[in-house]
Amino acid sequence: MLGTLGAGLSNFPWLSASILFPIGSAFVIPFFPDKGDGKEVRWFALSIALITFLITVGSYINGFDINNENVQLKENISWLPDLGLTWSVGADGMSMPLILLTSFITALAVLAAWPVKFKSKLFFFLILVMDGGQIAVFAVQDMLLFFLTWELELIPVYLLLAIWGGKNRQYAATKFIIYTAGSSIFILLAALAMGFYGTEIPNFEFSHLAAQDFSQKFQILCYVGLLIAFGVKLPIVPLHTWLPDAHGEATAPVHMLLAGILLKMGGYALLRFNAQLLPIAHAQFAPLLIVLGVVNIIYAALTSFAQRNLKRKIAYSSISHMGFVLIGIGSFSSLGTSGAMLQMVSHGLIGASLFFLVGATYDRTKTLKLDEMSGVGQKMRIMFALWTACSLASLALPGMSGFVSELMVFTGFVTDEVYTLPFRVVMASLAAIGVILTPIYLLSMLREIFFGKENPKLIEERKLIDAEPREVYIIACLLLPIIGIGLYPRLVTESYIASINNLVDRDLTAVKNAVKTNIFSGAKTNEILKAPTI
Amino acid sequence: MPQASEIAWLIPVFPLIGAVLSGLGLISINKKINNSREIVSVGLISFVGVSAVISYKALFEQVNGYQSVEKLFVWANAGDFTIPMGFVLDPLGSVMLALVTTITLLVMIYSHGYMAHDKGYVRFFTYLALFSSSMMGLIVSPNLLEIYVFWELVGMCSYLLVGFWYDRDGAAHAAQKAFVVNRVGDFGLLLGILGLFWATNSFDFNEIAKGISQSVSDNTIPIWAALLLCFLVFLGPMAKSAQFPLHVWLPDAMEGPTPISALIHAATMVAAGIFLVARLQPLYSIFPSIQFIIALVGTITCFLGASIALTQMDLKKGLAYSTVSQLGYMMLAMGCGAPVAGIFHLVTHACFKAMLFLGSGSVIHAMEEVVGHQPVLAQDMRLMGGLRKKMPYTSATFLIGCIAISGIPPLAGFWSKDEILGNAFISFPAFWFVGLLTAGMTAFYMFRLYFLTFEGDFRGENKELQKELLIASKLNLDEENEEEHEEHGSIHESPWSMTFPLVFLAVPSIIIGFMGLPWDSKIANLLDPEEADIAAKAFELKEFLPLAIASVVIASAGIIIAYQAYFVKKINLSVLFAEKFPSINRFLSNKWYLDDINEKLFVKGSRKLAKEVLEVDSKVVDGVVNLTGLVTLGSGEGLKYFETGRAQFYALIVFGGVILLVAIFGFQSPQVS
Repeated sequence: MLGTLGAGLSNFPWLSASILFPIGSAFVIPFFPDKGDGKEVRWFALSIALITFLITVGSYINGFDINNENVQLKENISWLPDLGLTWSVGADGMSMPLILLTSFITALAVLAAWPVKFKSKLFFFLILVMDGGQIAVFAVQDMLLFFLTWELELIPVYLLLAIWGGKNRQYAATKFIIYTAGSSIFILLAALAMGFYGTEIPNFEFSHLAAQDFSQKFQILCYVGLLIAFGVKLPIVPLHTWLPDAHGEATAPVHMLLAGILLKMGGYALLRFNAQLLPIAHAQFAPLLIVLGVVNIIYAALTSFAQRNLKRKIAYSSISHMGFVLIGIGSFSSLGTSGAMLQMVSHGLIGASLFFLVGATYDRTKTLKLDEMSGVGQKMRIMFALWTACSLASLALPGMSGFVSELMVFTGFVTDEVYTLPFRVVMASLAAIGVILTPIYLLSMLREIFFGKENPKLIEERKLIDAEPREVYIIACLLLPIIGIGLYPRLVTESYIASINNLVDRDLTAVKNAVKTNIFSGAKTNEILKAPTI
Repeated sequence: MPQASEIAWLIPVFPLIGAVLSGLGLISINKKINNSREIVSVGLISFVGVSAVISYKALFEQVNGYQSVEKLFVWANAGDFTIPMGFVLDPLGSVMLALVTTITLLVMIYSHGYMAHDKGYVRFFTYLALFSSSMMGLIVSPNLLEIYVFWELVGMCSYLLVGFWYDRDGAAHAAQKAFVVNRVGDFGLLLGILGLFWATNSFDFNEIAKGISQSVSDNTIPIWAALLLCFLVFLGPMAKSAQFPLHVWLPDAMEGPTPISALIHAATMVAAGIFLVARLQPLYSIFPSIQFIIALVGTITCFLGASIALTQMDLKKGLAYSTVSQLGYMMLAMGCGAPVAGIFHLVTHACFKAMLFLGSGSVIHAMEEVVGHQPVLAQDMRLMGGLRKKMPYTSATFLIGCIAISGIPPLAGFWSKDEILGNAFISFPAFWFVGLLTAGMTAFYMFRLYFLTFEGDFRGENKELQKELLIASKLNLDEENEEEHEEHGSIHESPWSMTFPLVFLAVPSIIIGFMGLPWDSKIANLLDPEEADIAAKAFELKEFLPLAIASVVIASAGIIIAYQAYFVKKINLSVLFAEKFPSINRFLSNKWYLDDINEKLFVKGSRKLAKEVLEVDSKVVDGVVNLTGLVTLGSGEGLKYFETGRAQFYALIVFGGVILLVAIFGFQSPQVS
């Protein structure tokens, strides 16, 4: 009985369900009555988001084998055969944690959106559509389909930014759409080029593309295009300037989604396409990724330090943390790449929690300027405690997830024999400066908001009430996995390590082949070949 | 019952459970838990108490020759890498655990009295439990990585505790400074750990030492790289144990409540650095040049701390610089290759320094009744004096502490300090001389503190002096403080919960030195039996006596000068010294200008740099990517920017320079074909 049930569960189209269910349900929302304060809509959206989360958990438990490095939970339906477009979804180790992260953060974002009263029907409609859309981005196994989901997912984000947000929301939303949509032309071009490569009948399936033997020049062309497209999303300095604007104007729940999930699309895509499908070009460009990662870390940490606007400060800190993802991806070691994956999950949780707190604080102080705050901690003690906990998580305190992922990236990169010793020494030392800079800006921020004498003007004008249970609950939900991963990282790493090992093996082979065909300088050949198999 | 050594991992777990429980309580049922504060404090004290019992049992097992215990499990893995975690209990660890649990317990009992009227009572106890738990975890860590984990947690707890009174600006700045300065050290520590892992594929102390000596003799890694790694790792202890020039955070950390100062200065935090250096002795002993650097840093710190302490008027700051100086002695011992002596001094110092700090807390507690809750007034010795008659327990124990730290036999400090000086005499005679000089200074400034605080007449009622001090501290006085001023109390002895720890600590401060008699050192027998055997056999009274007499004489000289200057007031030091050598006096009272350098160079510098980068970001990067930059460049604004924005231009150059590094160090392949 249970056996047949189990078999039935593993045949259930888990991924399609988790994509289509929230989107389908969203279309029920317009039929809700307009009057009232939108209570029904909120509860409806929350239950849909929770069910979606449960579906994704179900897919992980019932259909996903962590020891299998290949794509699982596959579903293939021919959609538009003339175009070579198939509805092809599936998940491997790189997709699965991010799918879970998406449905988890979205459910919390819905809870965080409880106070949204303005056009709440449309708001929750968009959030649910975004939920399905983002899961689709991580789950699709077809490059053309990936492009479509990537683009479609922009629409709800654009609207969420443009309708709800700060004073400059129109500017921010436009900037966001121009940057992302503009750069994603490169995805389309690369997809078409790769799909038509060497055949008459286009095929965009990842498995097909991965088996293709692209020439080096072709790979480099595609790689550069994709790097720009994904570099905007991640973001990579200097393509990052849309982010502080967009994040600076977004409302808290949207903010959580932007930082928690949207940025991860960039990192995921870099792994999926640049590192996995274009290994030869990756062997050429990986050092650039490392350098860009280091620049991200230091540059964004410094700008964050100088920022006087709380939201922008945290936005820049996100950019800084994404630098570790870049270093990890460029490291050619499973430890480093695994650290990059973990950093994405970890920052998804930590970033979401900090942005939620920014929103909650703004609800009370009605200002984001640090100069207008001071001594807030005396009235809002629990809020202070939550802020401290999340800031410590963000500055990579041991016992929390950020520390583990950064440590894995560092260790992976430093012990990696592919790079020359001086390069590793310089880059690791520069990246480690982030270890000093991060606490400087985060603790200064805490000091300016919560410590010191109370700002009399703020106390007089605003009612500073302490955190309510809903808010404590949201942060607790985020801190639990943050600490869980920090104490025992294998909770998460085990789910993707097989796929990452596979990916890194492939990239290392590319590096070694590059050595054999003398693309790499011949003199160092031996050193690379005797590198330990990572 | 299982052997305590086998279950040593429970020692940090118990206080952690307590801290988590009361922490959750604070978040969820804040009011209720604050109303039942005694239940929380008794509960947390019992949790630490259980840890203390296990620690002492483990210590006795180790003394009786039970084997060291080490247990590991795989914490993280990827590819062929595994990162193990676990616990280890060996003689060194058991000594430290016994020390930490004892001091923590006493500090907790003391805090019950000291923090009685504070609304953050429960929070304070929670932090204390967390702090002690992190420190215990650090001690049982079997490898460098796990040490790093707890190392950071200790730093975090000190951040929380130093910034405990978060409505005070000073506390906020001090807490941040403590964390950031420590992070500067951790920057080195982290890189060092990573580098050592790269070189030896291990995080384990002994394996690292073996691996490095192997690699150096095989020439697989160059000697300079090995030295650099050792030095980087040493940066961590330099910050944590407040060694020159990273000591700047420790005196500022006085902004925290006094029980915390006692805990930080005695058993946790600063002890962590010394402990790590002791753990890494197998590695450091391979390289004499690293040993020399450690000894040098220790000697400088030792002298610097004592010299600044000479002129301090703030009771707590005086003690803080004295800690800096004593930590220098410990580091000197490590550099001389005598970790046992260093740890011995750590233990004795922990006893009397905890007692001295708790005593100063007792004094401040009493002073606040008279001058109000204003640290500038309550801690200034110019307002004290004559407290001996009113506070018999506090003054008696403080006096014992002063004698102990000055190195007068047979109290504890004499034996441990002399052990260090003896070792320094053999290894680095020049450093021995500085150490000896410092011993004299130590005796002088400690008795200066004692005489100013407890002897003479009470000066606390002097309103004019109070006002002067307030103006000098540049605090803008608001009405609140004035009100507090008015409450007229009188000096009285502190409650039993505060005097009990003082009296309790006085006992080891007197007798614990006998654990390390040079001819029969019990502590050396425990920590390093072979070495102890050799030392005991080589002991000769002829060699011991001259050195011992020298240090006793110089200490007595210091005490006599202090007695003449501050008790009978026969000599006036400000005429005799301060006016004759104003530059030296200014140099000392400005703390060697190190705080100013720090402020100007690093704090302001980093702020300026950050601002410039932000400007580049919003004007150049954003503009160029938006393509609007091209337009502004053509317009007058763009020109103006490039005329005035030289600094920004440099920042751009730096930025480009980083990218240029690819070309220089790059991949194995310089070019794309």
